[in-house]
Amino acid sequence: MKRAAILAVALALVALVAMPGFSQTAAQKANLAASLKVDTSVLKSADNQLLLAPSTDNRKVPTRPADPSALPETDPLHWYDMEWAGWNVTPTNLPKSPADGAIGKKIIFIVHGSHPWTTACTSGAKKVADAYKMSFKVLDPNWVKDVQDQMIDQAINEKPDMILLIPLDAKGAVQQARKINQAGIPLHMFNTLPDAAALNYSLGWTGPDDFGQFRLLAKAWADQMRKQNPGAKTLGVAYVQHAPGGSPYFARSFGPISELATYAPEVKTLEKASPTPATFDANTTMQLVSDWLTKYGKDLKGICASDDSAQSLGIFQALEKAGRTDVVVVAAGNSKQGMDLVKEGKLFGITYQTAEGDGALAVKYAADWFNGKAMPLRQNLAQHIITKADVDKFYPPQW
Amino acid sequence: MRKLGKNSLLAFGDKYRIYILFALVFAFMSLFAPRFFNVFNITSILKVISMNACVAIGFTVVMICGQLDLSIGTVITFAGVLALGLKPALGYAGSIAVAVVAGGLVGVLNGLLVAKAKINSFIVTLGTMTVLQGAIYQFSGGNSISVSTPDAFVISDFLGKSLLPLLTPRILISLVLVLAMEAYLRRTRSGRNFYLVGGNRNTAWLAGIPTDKYTVAAFVLSGVGAAIGGVLSVLESTAATLKLGENSLMYVISATIIGGTAMSGGKGGVLRSVVAIFTLEMLYTGVILFGLGNEVKIFIAGLILAYVVLYEAYATYKHENDLGRRPELMKELEARRMAKEKA
Amino acid sequence: MADDRSLGSSSVGRLVSAAGVYGIAALFLAVGALLQATGIIRGFLTIQNMLNIVDAAALVGIVAVGMAFVTYSGHFADMSVPTTMGFTGYVCIELLRYGFIPAVIVALAIGLLIGLMNGFVVGKLKANPIIWTLAVNYVTMGVIRLIWVNKQIYPDMRGSGQKAVELFDNIYRLRFFNLIGLPVVMLLVLVVAGQFVMTKTSFGVKLKLTGSSLRAAKFSGISVERVITTAFVLTALTATIAGLAVTSLSRVGAWYNGAGYDFKAVTAIVIGGMTLAGGRGSILGVLGGSLIIGLLNNVLTLLGVGTFSQDMIRGAIFIVVVGINAKSLRSLGRDDA
Repeated sequence: MKRAAILAVALALVALVAMPGFSQTAAQKANLAASLKVDTSVLKSADNQLLLAPSTDNRKVPTRPADPSALPETDPLHWYDMEWAGWNVTPTNLPKSPADGAIGKKIIFIVHGSHPWTTACTSGAKKVADAYKMSFKVLDPNWVKDVQDQMIDQAINEKPDMILLIPLDAKGAVQQARKINQAGIPLHMFNTLPDAAALNYSLGWTGPDDFGQFRLLAKAWADQMRKQNPGAKTLGVAYVQHAPGGSPYFARSFGPISELATYAPEVKTLEKASPTPATFDANTTMQLVSDWLTKYGKDLKGICASDDSAQSLGIFQALEKAGRTDVVVVAAGNSKQGMDLVKEGKLFGITYQTAEGDGALAVKYAADWFNGKAMPLRQNLAQHIITKADVDKFYPPQW
Repeated sequence: MRKLGKNSLLAFGDKYRIYILFALVFAFMSLFAPRFFNVFNITSILKVISMNACVAIGFTVVMICGQLDLSIGTVITFAGVLALGLKPALGYAGSIAVAVVAGGLVGVLNGLLVAKAKINSFIVTLGTMTVLQGAIYQFSGGNSISVSTPDAFVISDFLGKSLLPLLTPRILISLVLVLAMEAYLRRTRSGRNFYLVGGNRNTAWLAGIPTDKYTVAAFVLSGVGAAIGGVLSVLESTAATLKLGENSLMYVISATIIGGTAMSGGKGGVLRSVVAIFTLEMLYTGVILFGLGNEVKIFIAGLILAYVVLYEAYATYKHENDLGRRPELMKELEARRMAKEKA
Repeated sequence: MADDRSLGSSSVGRLVSAAGVYGIAALFLAVGALLQATGIIRGFLTIQNMLNIVDAAALVGIVAVGMAFVTYSGHFADMSVPTTMGFTGYVCIELLRYGFIPAVIVALAIGLLIGLMNGFVVGKLKANPIIWTLAVNYVTMGVIRLIWVNKQIYPDMRGSGQKAVELFDNIYRLRFFNLIGLPVVMLLVLVVAGQFVMTKTSFGVKLKLTGSSLRAAKFSGISVERVITTAFVLTALTATIAGLAVTSLSRVGAWYNGAGYDFKAVTAIVIGGMTLAGGRGSILGVLGGSLIIGLLNNVLTLLGVGTFSQDMIRGAIFIVVVGINAKSLRSLGRDDA
């Protein structure tokens, strides 16, 4: 009798370990059911857009060339490791979903630094976290990587159910992700695309597809330049780049360059430079663009900027001084200044870059994972180019 | 024993100000900040200060010499980028050596321009800072540099592993460097000479100290210290970001001043600077643990710096009748002269 | 002022000390003209291009003209310029709803207060100017971010009148004869006024003596505290003007407005021939220093040199120019550079 009892207990233990589905208590099941009922599709961001709008882009993921860096910079596949990072990773030691519902879970949200964008992103994330009654804690290292490392240590020490991280640096993210992974805590990265190696240790990645957005923007830009310069054999353009040290520096110049190499081969890159020492200073950008206008005159038909606020205001200051209204300018969006410039008919187009949606999608990803859904490795935000035709729909600005 | 009067009590407080501040902040945070007083948290604070501690070693010596080095931030990044960027070609031994030597060479250049060409150090290092910033972007091609080979992870894991409570190898290395420098400055004659050079350059020169050599040496120490700090940091994180040293300049200047090293030279110490860094970082961590934002952190740090500068200025304003002279250093020079005469 | 103590220094040194910064400017212009004549660059010698250079230098020039008074008084530099610019920009936008003029006046008053405080602590209590102003920079940054909780504010979203917003927008954008912008006009006015104050007024004389020798100035009965305070007030006021212009240009009150203007201004001042030891140099030289940096960037961009290489070249030229200047001063028997 005693032996039978022991056997029964042993069997029960084996069952518990072998079949996690059965190990759930009734409370956990109830929580899961309640969590699945939460409807986040009605949430809106401050600019009256749907908060959660994942991309519907269904471009096929290309296969990785043997050595992307051997290809010329005008070949889209040269940028493979940046553009498609996260699609073909080898997940390493990733935790399994408890599948017991997102309600009441504790998540720690580590951002990159204080900025109005971050404030909007955090408020979007909080809307989703509140819908799931999650415990939601924000850590802000104020742009210092060492401090972000320290905050990751602190977050690990608090043993949350998940860490959501905007890596401050694509390459530095590898060791950060590895550390969180080794501590056995689920990690989800968002907004800034890290090195592919970092995504081996992350459940997934959500955020804006910078390269994809700029390929879209580039096409609209080229179309407009063609329209304004019918029959032109060459269309000279220049790129005002982002600050060096991250993927936007490349995505927002080489994205269009490599896209237009085939889409509009008559578009010729005359210049590309990051204004130094202050990348996002209107005065510095104005000076750089004025010099380009002197150098190329009427040959300069288009400018693509990595920022639609200070950089774009500097660009238009330079254009106005030179009496030029024929230059087609596009930029990464969407700040208030940028939308105002679109409305005035100055900027031709800007990318829609939802800050609230960015944070919200990350938390939604976490919630779906807690709910036991099979999650994709990567989820992009919806892509859209804001032009004069629809800019009014995006007011008031998120930040 | 002499009785402690009001004046000597004040003097005591003045002399050990940074240690008292440290103790106060530590006690306050331990008592009130949630999850502050535990081995894990203190270790993580030590980890985060170890880069700037290395940087402060040399920077403090430059300040003691009465000079300023604005190039430290870019030297940190430059060394970090070199250490990882050259690793595929030279291996770690080679790339680390190049990075540290490069830091030293920047120091030599700074030092020679200050000591021999007699250009103000503020100007010289502002120039080298600009040059290095361009060099960093040029060398890195605009992207941060990382190494993801197995040996990189082995080194990284080793540097970040706890040997003893509170000590990882990287913290230990930084600590040893700090203590060694402190001992050198306090206990050796050549170490003391840095103070004399900074206290009164002409008097030091008249006393037979080769002031130019000491000035150059100070800048070399600063360059090498910043480079070591940068290299250790990128070895642990396996990535050299282009903003690695961006915040270090203002941070280390503030900490050095709060630690009690005077900008006019001739006064201060390496350990004091590092204790000041530790104190500031405890404050920062505490602010975060209380759930307050970065704006509070910046505000408090500014207030402390402002208070210290104001206090020092006020104290000197009250006491200083003797422009440009420091009685304690005059005494030491006198003692040396006496010793020489005896010999 | 002619120097009759010239003891046969090197020819380059003599050139620099005689012609000052304008000799270097002439050199750059000649190089640019040569490059254009040989067809390597184009568009350099045009009125438009020259105006562009002046436009680009205007904001740094405005800050530099004010800060030059601090440098001239022997107190190196005012590192609180960046947040003074940012803070006054915020204040002006926030108060636009009470009208344009009141907003600008309050912004200037705040600049004045920051200058008075710096002047008192540095002049009266003799705090180290760099460290003190650095601390002020920190505290002001904290104040900005505490008040506006990490938010940036826009001129047309604080309930201000259309007219006030337009006027504010025009601080930077107003142009005369569609040729010369308001910032350039302000720069020129400040240069003329600054040069006059520095050379023709009793304050200028006192300032020169204070900068040359604080003790001598004190013993000759000059109220050095008042002189130094005035210098810091002038810096803070020009920083406020530049801050309003930067804020107007970028149409946003943001804590990072003004970042970097401290070092940019110091660079212009020092290249312009003012020595950190004080008492030497001129406002006209500072104007030249600001223009030279713009001229150098212009020629390099027209040549197709990347911005990263431009950094390196700018830094190197900076050290060389200052080095030559120091050397020529020394060989003239003024070993105080």
